[in-house]
Amino acid sequence: MTDLSLARGQVDRERLLRLLQEYGVYAGVVALLAFNFVFTSNFVSAENFRTQAVQVAPVLIVALGMALAIGTEGVDLAVGSVMALSTSLLSLYLGYGMVPAILMALVGGIAVGLANGSLVAFLGVQPIVATLALMVAARGIALVLLPQLEDVRDPGMASLGSGDVLGVPYLVLIAAALALLVAFVVRRTTFGRQLLAVGDSRPAARLAGLPVRRILIIVYAASGALAAVAGILATARLTASDPTSLGTLMELSAITAVVVGGTPLSGGRIRIGGTVAGAVLIQLLTTTLIKHDLQPSWTQMAQAVVIVAAVYAARERGKR
Amino acid sequence: MLSVTGVSKLFPGVKALSDVDFTARAGEVHALVGENGAGKSTLIKVLTGVYQPDAGEVVHDGTPVRFTTPLQAQQAGISTIYQEVNLVPLMSVARNLFLGREPRGRLGLIDFRRMHREAEEALSGLGIRVDVRRPLRELGVGAQQMVALARAVALDARVVIMDEPTSSLEPREVRTLFRVIRMLRERGIAVVYVSHRMDELYEICDAVTVLRDGRVVHTGRLADLDRLRLVSLMLGRDIGEVRSEGLTKFTGSHQAAAEPVLRAEGLTIRHQLHDVSLSIRPGEVVGLGGLLGSGRSETAKVIAGALSADAGRVSVGGVPVRTGSTPAAIRAGISLLPEDRKAEGISPGLSVRENIALAALPGLSRFGLVDNARVDEVVDGFVKRLRIKSAGPHQKVGELSGGNQQKVLLARWLAMHPKVLLLDEPTRGIDVGAKAEVQSLIDELADEGLAVLLISSDTEELIEGSDRIVVLKDGVVVDELTGDAVTEDALMRAIAAEPGAASVPAEPAAPAPTEEAVKPAESAGSTHD
Amino acid sequence: MKPTALSRRTTARTLLATGLLTSLALTGCTKSEDSGDDKATEQQADAGQEVASPSAGSGPGCTIAAYGGEKLDLKNATVGFSQSEKEANPFRIAETASIRAEAKKRGVKLLTANAQSQFSKQISDVQDLIAKGADVLVIAPLNSDGWEPVLKTASAKHIPIVTVDRKINATACKDYVSFIGSDFVEQGKRAADQMIEATGGKGEIAILLGAAGNNVTTERTKGFVDQIKAEAPGLKVVFQQTGEFAREKGQSVTENLIQSKPGIKGIYAENDEMGLGAVNALKGAGKKAGDVKIVTIDGTRNAVQGIVDGWISGVVESNPRFGPLAFQTLDSFTKGDEVAQDIVIKDTEYTEANAKTDIGKAY
Repeated sequence: MTDLSLARGQVDRERLLRLLQEYGVYAGVVALLAFNFVFTSNFVSAENFRTQAVQVAPVLIVALGMALAIGTEGVDLAVGSVMALSTSLLSLYLGYGMVPAILMALVGGIAVGLANGSLVAFLGVQPIVATLALMVAARGIALVLLPQLEDVRDPGMASLGSGDVLGVPYLVLIAAALALLVAFVVRRTTFGRQLLAVGDSRPAARLAGLPVRRILIIVYAASGALAAVAGILATARLTASDPTSLGTLMELSAITAVVVGGTPLSGGRIRIGGTVAGAVLIQLLTTTLIKHDLQPSWTQMAQAVVIVAAVYAARERGKR
Repeated sequence: MLSVTGVSKLFPGVKALSDVDFTARAGEVHALVGENGAGKSTLIKVLTGVYQPDAGEVVHDGTPVRFTTPLQAQQAGISTIYQEVNLVPLMSVARNLFLGREPRGRLGLIDFRRMHREAEEALSGLGIRVDVRRPLRELGVGAQQMVALARAVALDARVVIMDEPTSSLEPREVRTLFRVIRMLRERGIAVVYVSHRMDELYEICDAVTVLRDGRVVHTGRLADLDRLRLVSLMLGRDIGEVRSEGLTKFTGSHQAAAEPVLRAEGLTIRHQLHDVSLSIRPGEVVGLGGLLGSGRSETAKVIAGALSADAGRVSVGGVPVRTGSTPAAIRAGISLLPEDRKAEGISPGLSVRENIALAALPGLSRFGLVDNARVDEVVDGFVKRLRIKSAGPHQKVGELSGGNQQKVLLARWLAMHPKVLLLDEPTRGIDVGAKAEVQSLIDELADEGLAVLLISSDTEELIEGSDRIVVLKDGVVVDELTGDAVTEDALMRAIAAEPGAASVPAEPAAPAPTEEAVKPAESAGSTHD
Repeated sequence: MKPTALSRRTTARTLLATGLLTSLALTGCTKSEDSGDDKATEQQADAGQEVASPSAGSGPGCTIAAYGGEKLDLKNATVGFSQSEKEANPFRIAETASIRAEAKKRGVKLLTANAQSQFSKQISDVQDLIAKGADVLVIAPLNSDGWEPVLKTASAKHIPIVTVDRKINATACKDYVSFIGSDFVEQGKRAADQMIEATGGKGEIAILLGAAGNNVTTERTKGFVDQIKAEAPGLKVVFQQTGEFAREKGQSVTENLIQSKPGIKGIYAENDEMGLGAVNALKGAGKKAGDVKIVTIDGTRNAVQGIVDGWISGVVESNPRFGPLAFQTLDSFTKGDEVAQDIVIKDTEYTEANAKTDIGKAY
């Protein structure tokens, strides 16, 4: 009898831990919201929620691509530089009209993604090394193309950056649509399921006859495309192309959002809902500290604490 | 020496151990046997401090102890040798041997000369000769295990627990291991020996404890227990039933068609395979015999497109198959159940459902979208047919027992409706019950007209399961046994035959004394059979 | 006139972009720099901005006798100029252009080099310039430290060195002659004066700080905060967050600022880019020009345009036009006159009063 009660205690503890791992990020978001509702003046306003959503949109879009790469047991460090490259291209081609310029920016992002994917898939280069190389190269090309900040005066771009539908900014709508799309691809498509198999065990996926190389290349191309979209939207919001500083450290924010959201770095599993919540959590954390005018270094420390907590939870999960 | 009384251990939903008594005595080799899931690993983990028992006590050297970490158990003189050697592969053999207790010279620096000398002495004391300065990973698995053993002995271990130590060893390495075990026994060390291999148990063990469903069903001297009785205890079945079915579940020969469906010709990989040819007819089980490193797995992998050949052709039903491409081989109807189930077979983090559907997924999709209803249908069908036991289709495959993992893999390939099934060690490391099920399944599949290639280091399984055996030696086909010639004796002779010699007395694993020195380069190159 | 020039440039670089994307080659580098130079020269033509006089006198001086070496006539000398960063931002573009224009004006032979933000390259650049026969040197240092090897070579040949915009850690009038630069504390102080005037000296204000750990940030903050304390106790700094000198960061931070502190009266941005980001944020929040007073530092054309449009109240210039002052200093020095060791370049400022007329002079 004593055995059983002991066992029940253990079961409860494990279940609690598991719940925390599964829903901890959502709990974190709720807790931060609650804190701000009570202690932050003027937090509860449509205008503020709009601002937060708009600010988180580019990070979230980049994080979606990052989640795909991490799901294959990889990583894409080039995303921030892809944002810079896309903003340079956008600015250069805006003379031909908004649509061609956006297409060129996307092509640039996909090109970097294809280069990343080819290095990983065909040459077997470690993703962290391959994408690090492209991170440096893409930023370099971006600065050669557009050496300094240039204002974007295109009215179409301006309305993309600040316009809305029924009060919901375009940026937020696009980010939400992309999140749903990526979630659908991961859950429901053959490609999504195969992607997870590649991430879970690459030798097994290869022996099961999956087109491992093609999958990896598509994943990195998609990550590049998503980063380019983020770069385009950030440009529209800023109404300027700033390849020097756009996207710097974006790769770290994106990885944080993905990991905090419960996607394991070891691949085989992707949580899009968690990634969305992870991005929101980081945004709220930054915002809370800014609104209370705390030292900027505090923001970094708070982020570090969140990452450590997430990695700790992931470690527990891995032990299972 | 080390004993447990009345030990119980619960996991969510399962009682892994219930009221277990077990005693390892000094100077005795004690076999711990049971099917997978019987509670062997749990018991070992309780003994070594990885788990704490929910009830009962552990007594070490006459005093009750409660190890809360494996380190405490180690310090108390309990060493564990796992299948996967847990040493530092990049460090030298000597460093590994003396890890944490390096001999220090003046200035507190490591005295390498002394360390190397003592390492050599320690290893040669166990009959092993290796260059102790080389990194550990250059050694074969067997030699690595010896180093782990030597380390255990050097650490003044009083109890040594070995979990399936021979599963990746070659016969001569097994012999060395057994000699070391006997030496340990003479020194008054208690050895707990876990293995699925019956021959080994009877060769080396003094006592036996049989576990089933978390309970002790028998304990006593092994010599007093005959093999059949042991099997029946493990399976929990009547002797009569087991006897009538034989030790394997194979029925024997199959009705094979006249024309081969698979033809492989002149397969060659530098240093590994030389001009290997074989063919399999529908409904035929062809065995691939040979020792570790003879090229059996390589042959299967080349046919399955998982390994590129320097030369050779493969065709299915007369249609040539592009070599070196797994997808091409799969499209042609060739499926491979790989030897290394955990690393190359299953996707451990994915569910039973995802694993079964993995290869067949494109066929179960429309416009790139997975048809969940059809996937469920296929998965449910195979779970029933192969009697896959799991908490449900959404349980992770990594959490299943070895036998069920193997069945999931079989299901994955059967869902592709293959014409040729290549089975590389299909029953290795799985419990007796699942083994029997897999064996009868192979029979059944052959009866349904599948062409099967069977690789097994379990001679009995190979002989009884195959209609025909192609024997490989050092990457060359040396013999083919057909009809009545498919016997253990003939196989041994074929393997042991010296080049050019007609026949040699069958004593396959008898090593020349010099062979026991492990040559690092050779071992490193051929561990991947 | 202007639109055609602009579109031609765009086409050229569009072609360049296509080439780079397809080949990923870096052959375009030099070309791009050329186009940057073209632009700079073109800009310089209409930027007849008044430049500070060598307001010597304050602080210790330096003569050629004390430094060592011989008198020479700058007209017949070769001047070497080592630029630290690629001419990719307005400041560097204007700085290099100013040196070139002055050399042209005086008919002096000029050798230039660009370290592309690599310090080791700058060291070898300077050694190259000396080897190529530079008689005097103007250096815009990338770092303050690590100059010993070059200074040794230069002092052995008694080559006068003037550093601009950043000081090096060495002994003035021994290792180099003079340093010409802006006084960042003073810039902050003047920004405070503008803020006081714009807000009337009352209300809550915010600071968008530059990158953390940067001396420009610390000095511009110190000058501003001290002056506010001294002159307008009615102004309260209620918010200090970093915008990392980038427009995007300035915008994000300001968006949060105006929501949590809707009553904010003024924003002091420690560079133009963050100020322009703040303008974006205010526009996005539906504020009108002039609702929140913005004061920035640097004096780029975009910021001055902001004054014209009514969004920015004042801009303190950080003068990049070191050419005239540097050559004047070197001229006096090589003639044998005494020059100051620390020369502060005169920074102008833009307000509503002069923005419209002087925008052409902004860089």
